[in-house]
Amino acid sequence: MMGSRFQITKLGAWLITSLTVLIALAWVFPLYWGVISSLKPEDEVVRPYIELWPQTLTFDHYYSALTKSLIGLWYINSLATAVGVTVITIFSSMLCGYAISQLNFPGRRYLHILILACFMVPTQTLIINHFVLMANMHLLNTWLGMILPQLIYPVIIIIYKQFFDGVPKEFREAALMDNASEWRIFYRVYMPMNWGITTALAIVVFIWTWNNFLWPFLAATQNETMTVPVGITQVYNAFGVYYARRLAAAVLAALPVVLLYLFFQRQVTQAITLSAGIKG
Amino acid sequence: MSDIKLSNVSKTFGIVSVIDDLTLTVKSGEFLVLLGPSGSGKTTILRMIAGLETIDKGTLEIGGQRCESLPPGQRQVAMVFQNYALYPHMSVSGNMAFGLENIGLGKAEIAARIAAAAKLLEMTSLLERYPAQLSGGQRQRVAIGRAIVKQPKAFLFDEPLSNLDAALRVRTRVELAQLHQRLQSTVVYVTHDQTEAMTLADRVVVLNSRHVEQIGTPMEIYHRPATRFVASFVGSPAMNFIQVKTKLNGKKIGIVAPSGKWITLPNASLGKGDVELGIRPESISIVDRDADATGQVKIIERLGERTLLHVQLDKGPLIIVQDSGLSKLNINSPVKLKFNVSQISLFGPDGKSSLRSAAS
Amino acid sequence: MIGKAFTSYWFPVLLIVPFLAIYGLIFIYPTISMFVLSFTDAPLIGSGNFVGLSNYARLFHDPRLLVALWNTAYFVILSVIPGAAVALLIALAVQRLSGRLQAAVLALFFLPFIVPVSVVYLIWDWILNYQFGIAMHWLDALGIPRVPVFKTVTWFMPAVALITIWWTCGFSLLVFLAGLRAIPAEIYEAAALDNASRWTTFRRITWPLLWPVTALVLTIQLILQLKIFDQVYLFSTGGRPNDTIVMVQYIFQMAFVDDHGGRAAAVAVTLFLIVIVVTLVEFQLLRLAGGGQKK
Repeated sequence: MMGSRFQITKLGAWLITSLTVLIALAWVFPLYWGVISSLKPEDEVVRPYIELWPQTLTFDHYYSALTKSLIGLWYINSLATAVGVTVITIFSSMLCGYAISQLNFPGRRYLHILILACFMVPTQTLIINHFVLMANMHLLNTWLGMILPQLIYPVIIIIYKQFFDGVPKEFREAALMDNASEWRIFYRVYMPMNWGITTALAIVVFIWTWNNFLWPFLAATQNETMTVPVGITQVYNAFGVYYARRLAAAVLAALPVVLLYLFFQRQVTQAITLSAGIKG
Repeated sequence: MSDIKLSNVSKTFGIVSVIDDLTLTVKSGEFLVLLGPSGSGKTTILRMIAGLETIDKGTLEIGGQRCESLPPGQRQVAMVFQNYALYPHMSVSGNMAFGLENIGLGKAEIAARIAAAAKLLEMTSLLERYPAQLSGGQRQRVAIGRAIVKQPKAFLFDEPLSNLDAALRVRTRVELAQLHQRLQSTVVYVTHDQTEAMTLADRVVVLNSRHVEQIGTPMEIYHRPATRFVASFVGSPAMNFIQVKTKLNGKKIGIVAPSGKWITLPNASLGKGDVELGIRPESISIVDRDADATGQVKIIERLGERTLLHVQLDKGPLIIVQDSGLSKLNINSPVKLKFNVSQISLFGPDGKSSLRSAAS
Repeated sequence: MIGKAFTSYWFPVLLIVPFLAIYGLIFIYPTISMFVLSFTDAPLIGSGNFVGLSNYARLFHDPRLLVALWNTAYFVILSVIPGAAVALLIALAVQRLSGRLQAAVLALFFLPFIVPVSVVYLIWDWILNYQFGIAMHWLDALGIPRVPVFKTVTWFMPAVALITIWWTCGFSLLVFLAGLRAIPAEIYEAAALDNASRWTTFRRITWPLLWPVTALVLTIQLILQLKIFDQVYLFSTGGRPNDTIVMVQYIFQMAFVDDHGGRAAAVAVTLFLIVIVVTLVEFQLLRLAGGGQKK
């Protein structure tokens, strides 16, 4: 009696597990379908039945996407933008988070409140004035103009503040006893302690920036200055109705961030969880 | 010259006074223990010497140099933290070198000092490891090594043994004592553990609720407690306290023991009224007659080398009496007790000892 | 606090200068100039005259505002709670698994979130392509007539909302998983000893203990989806953008298509205030709801 009930429970568990796996596979099917379609010849792509594996595998569309569009240029733009935003954001946030957490200075509380208030302000509503500002500074269609309005990541500052808050104060005191200057306390004691978290946050900021659409879409008014994700949606005409070639371009756009994720899964997961305000 | 002088030091946190008008001198080469319960202000005093807390009023001299407004790094003292605060991303030698690099010592000198300290502490093989790879006891050594390499005027210890397990704590205690004998350096050591205080200290400062109760050698603290607080805080099991009356007998004044017997105490400065008699369990003996108190055994704790008897006095409170390890007494046995007069302490209503300090 | 008297002031100032410079230039200054601009009749680039509240007066008589407001609200309704529910279900399913299988399944569910929105657009545009899309083949197989999804107002928002859930679910999933892992195993063991059924365990233990996380996910999603632009804009190209417009898109059209800087700023201010009010109201509501859960 007990045995059979146990067997039923076990069977049920196995069924739920299989169902979960099936749904997970279905979940990535659109991505799979996008990739697989990009590897089919154009005439095979539009055939009215479902082929889960191409009859003829071809990389022609990748070749054309790379040679017949500005995607190389867009890659450089995307890379420059994402690296710029990541480096500036991480360093300014780390410094600011450290100051708010560990140092005493007049206005510290107000600064903290200001940063928390930043969370509420929708940056999307600032696009007009970002555009006007960048136009006035003659920064449209430049890397700097692409980077500047994307530097608003208050959450990174808060994550750093919370991280530094969690470091026992004895480290700071021990360093003070060791005659370390304020700069050395930060540079030699606190900064090396958070390389793990810094790596994770940097990867995620890089991914977010690479994927960002709205501002790059506005800031680049010429084909040459676009980022990859913007470019692939703007050159519809260049590809005409070559569906497979468009998908090849899409795969190329997603490839760097997907690879980053696959290599640094643990860090991405940690940083995303932290960014939601949960201690990871 | 590396004595430490605190003169009329006061400290407040907001409106709360933490240290009030403290004057204290640590002699050069002395091992001074600050002993007290949590909240007694002992850690604050240590941190004021270190420079981690500001001194609101008063002066601090370390080795003849005024220090109260110097930053911590320039006071030439080293501190061992309760949780050791070893930099987790630096190796053992990196941890020891950090403070030396900060004062701009040459590489050769740093290496020599680390090697010497590692040899002294027998941890040469650990130098390239990281704190996470060390056991609790090893971390403790590294923390001490980090202090030694600085060749400071004084060492400050903040409850350094409290994170170790019992067996290791005993061993490390002995090693600390040996280390002090070899280095002959000035040490200020904060603890709430009276055994550490008794075994390590040249002098003990007993603190309670932000003031000094008594300063003295461990033996003075134990045998001639200046206040009822010291008497009750030091010693395990704690001293027994019995309310007694004073009585004039001719010209001599004495106290009335629970049995009604009159005890004269040559050193006591007694007035009329009640006093509290303090007597340690080991200063009470079990006798056949001529008892100072009688009672009944209620609880027996056999500890092996000795036995603790909880005796309900016929006229008085429950007290603890020490008997030999092979005590043959049973629960509810009646006992007659005699107090060792030379070990009696008396405390007046103000909690201060009523014995003249010259007594010892 | 620590060594108060010994910390100099120049060092903290040095540390916060980069932050202040960045946020002053691209956050505080644009916010202020947005308000200023909304009271002028300036084009996108160039100066204009002060016109008082007339931009707002015109805005509230513009039928497009109502359309944009409704579409935004509709999108929020379609995406926030269903998205959280889907993420929670997946999280519960993933949490049951362990080891490599769990890591793999989690990665599969999370992967779409890593992909840029324009890639999401291209892939789904292809899948739902009226002529060649694989989804249409399936509709054929089921005998259902094909629909030009992104060209039909009825289907547009539900489809974009569904795709958004598919795309962003990974984020909420991670948050829910972190929340589930924070519930101590002992509590479940105690519940098992108390003979609680699976459903009872979920209703009486998991759900209440997870509520703060659920509230967090809802808050984040609500605020995020109020500012929806990318997907809606991309899928509406070649469709009927005037009927499917959302608030940020309205700002975009007014400023970058119609070249009305001042009027666009008035729309931006309106959305700005809506987001802040909704945020504050939601915080209060969730705090009340959370207080009720704690009984």
